[in-house]
Amino acid sequence: MNLENLPIASKQALLDALQWCSAKVGLTLPEWLLGLVSALVIIVTILATFLILFALMSVFERKLLARAQNRYGPNRVGPCGLFQPVADGIKMLTKEDLVPRSADKVVHYLAPIAMVAPALMLPVILPYGRDMVAVDLPVGILFFFALGAGSELAVFMAGWASNNKYSILGAMRAIAQMISYELPLVTSAVVVALVAGTLSPAVIVEAQRGYSYGFVPHWFVCTPWGFAACLLFYLGALAESNRCPFDLPEGESEIIAGHLTEYSGFKYAIFFMAEYVGMFAINGLLVTLFLGGYQAPFPFLEWIPSWCWFFAKLWAVALSMVWVRTTLPRFRIDQMMQFAWKFMLPMSFVALLAAAAWHYAGRGPAAWGISALVILIPYLLLGHFCFTRQHSATNRRYYYSE
Amino acid sequence: MMLQILLALSAALFALGLLAALTRRNAIMILIGIELMLGAGNLNFISFWKFSAHPENLTGIMFAIFSIAIAAAEAAVGLAIIIQVHRRLHSVDVDQANQLKG
Amino acid sequence: MHALFQKIASLPWEQLPQWLFLIPGLLMLLAAAAAVCLRNLVHSALCLVASFIALGVLFMALGAEFVGFVQLLVYVGAVAMLILFAILLTPAGEVLASNNPLRNFRLSSALHAAAGAAVAFLVLVGLLAAIAFSPRAASAVLPAQAAAAPVALIGENLLTHTLLPLLGIAVLLTAALVGAALIAKEDSQS
Repeated sequence: MNLENLPIASKQALLDALQWCSAKVGLTLPEWLLGLVSALVIIVTILATFLILFALMSVFERKLLARAQNRYGPNRVGPCGLFQPVADGIKMLTKEDLVPRSADKVVHYLAPIAMVAPALMLPVILPYGRDMVAVDLPVGILFFFALGAGSELAVFMAGWASNNKYSILGAMRAIAQMISYELPLVTSAVVVALVAGTLSPAVIVEAQRGYSYGFVPHWFVCTPWGFAACLLFYLGALAESNRCPFDLPEGESEIIAGHLTEYSGFKYAIFFMAEYVGMFAINGLLVTLFLGGYQAPFPFLEWIPSWCWFFAKLWAVALSMVWVRTTLPRFRIDQMMQFAWKFMLPMSFVALLAAAAWHYAGRGPAAWGISALVILIPYLLLGHFCFTRQHSATNRRYYYSE
Repeated sequence: MMLQILLALSAALFALGLLAALTRRNAIMILIGIELMLGAGNLNFISFWKFSAHPENLTGIMFAIFSIAIAAAEAAVGLAIIIQVHRRLHSVDVDQANQLKG
Repeated sequence: MHALFQKIASLPWEQLPQWLFLIPGLLMLLAAAAAVCLRNLVHSALCLVASFIALGVLFMALGAEFVGFVQLLVYVGAVAMLILFAILLTPAGEVLASNNPLRNFRLSSALHAAAGAAVAFLVLVGLLAAIAFSPRAASAVLPAQAAAAPVALIGENLLTHTLLPLLGIAVLLTAALVGAALIAKEDSQS
């Protein structure tokens, strides 16, 4: 039995068992029904995987945060606290669902649904292994960002329907942040689409196949423009998922819970789940675009199945996001906006230029030097002229919120 | 018959947009009507592309893509104007914006 | 009973997939009608969003997937957001209307609304008549090869056949960006 084909083989075994059972009963299943059952099996597997990842992440994040702060995390429920998500789920399900009297009932009810439906549709285009894409869309990347727009709408609905000053304020800040960071995010993805020549994630992963000098993988993150685009995509992913240091919309010490203030119980759990599933989906896209998807990093490690590599890389990127959360403080809203529009957007265009320069200079050694220079020079200039301040006591510049 | 049904859908959407643009007094509702009319036009382009003799020309698709981009630009400018008008008149009622004096 | 089942089974079920576009089409009309008729602006804008989503799905059902996703990305993600922000930033001042609809009745605005509705109805009737009596629309058949729009072909068209409109729209979008920011800017003196 080949470990690589384990998921596909098990799905086929399930379908064969179904056909055997129906043959025993005496009726033949039509072709379309088998296709439907196959699609349902794939959907249920993907959903179950991401929900298990969400549950594991919620407990690992709290334990990692705790360890970084020199305390234990949740360690009472189950071995080392691993059953904490079950306890959290029971708590969320049994809490009273409070809706404010002056809230807009219909929109308040629909907001979590509008948040979680696009988030659960996001993981469907990611290639989990060799020939293991649920839906091989030729416009996969566009699909991903189109669904991301749906979650912004849900944030607005949540904030407005709660009829609460803090909710509206939080919702407007959240949408401003998400729209501002969507531009560098999409431009970094366009950089990869430019070089690979396609918008389909499966083809992009295949374009990163191969090794140079026997051990250096052809992942896009190993190129200068790919490294810049990967960093920008990573920061954009942090902002889109409202994670620290970009979690002002949910800043507990400042605006209570922002757009989530008036949500309790299961609706809050749905928002929480949508945020984490969205985070995993965008991390999956980062792995697909820049980290080689399901390819192994070194040729002597290729015996590990491709789907194991995908989930290992996904888990590594997710844990790095938790690491960033333990380390960095929160941005202020004007710092966040300046960072997006004055630094990340120009740098994403610079990465686009660098990728084009790399391609047209022949993709050889000279091309690497040229594209590295194209990235470094604007980065240093931008950093020197725009973001360094004269730290003297007399001509300090203070920023106040208007 | 399928083309006729698609064109009828597009005509109905256009009529709804026209109704919003002509009947409502709120400037933002008028803009919503304009966006509906532009959407109806896009539907017409795509329907005719699907039933054309040479769909590999992609003319309808090109038209639709550019129309979507122009609609976005026009919505941005229109809403900026509405916000500025609101600052002056403290209302977005187009019946109250009836004087040339700013 | 058995005859009913036979009748249902003998319907042309293989042709169903091509008529499935009617579902998003009717949803789109319903949502647009709600958007036009609702009094609450935010509800109306959210129904508009539903209408845009249904229109995007309709584009995908007609074989133009790229346009469908661009519609979702641009209209739902950008235009609808702009409209919602504008609604938030332009709240109605003192509410002059009372709850009794008869008290707000002004003959001039009622006449204007009726005239507008009449014009829209006439336009609808005219368009439907044109569609019904047009020989080209009645005799349209699907081309032999299913209309396909691969993304690579769209990109190639954009950069070769429609290069000039592409550059023009780049200038237009830049002008719209700068213009909108300038128009909506607050006067620093006041």
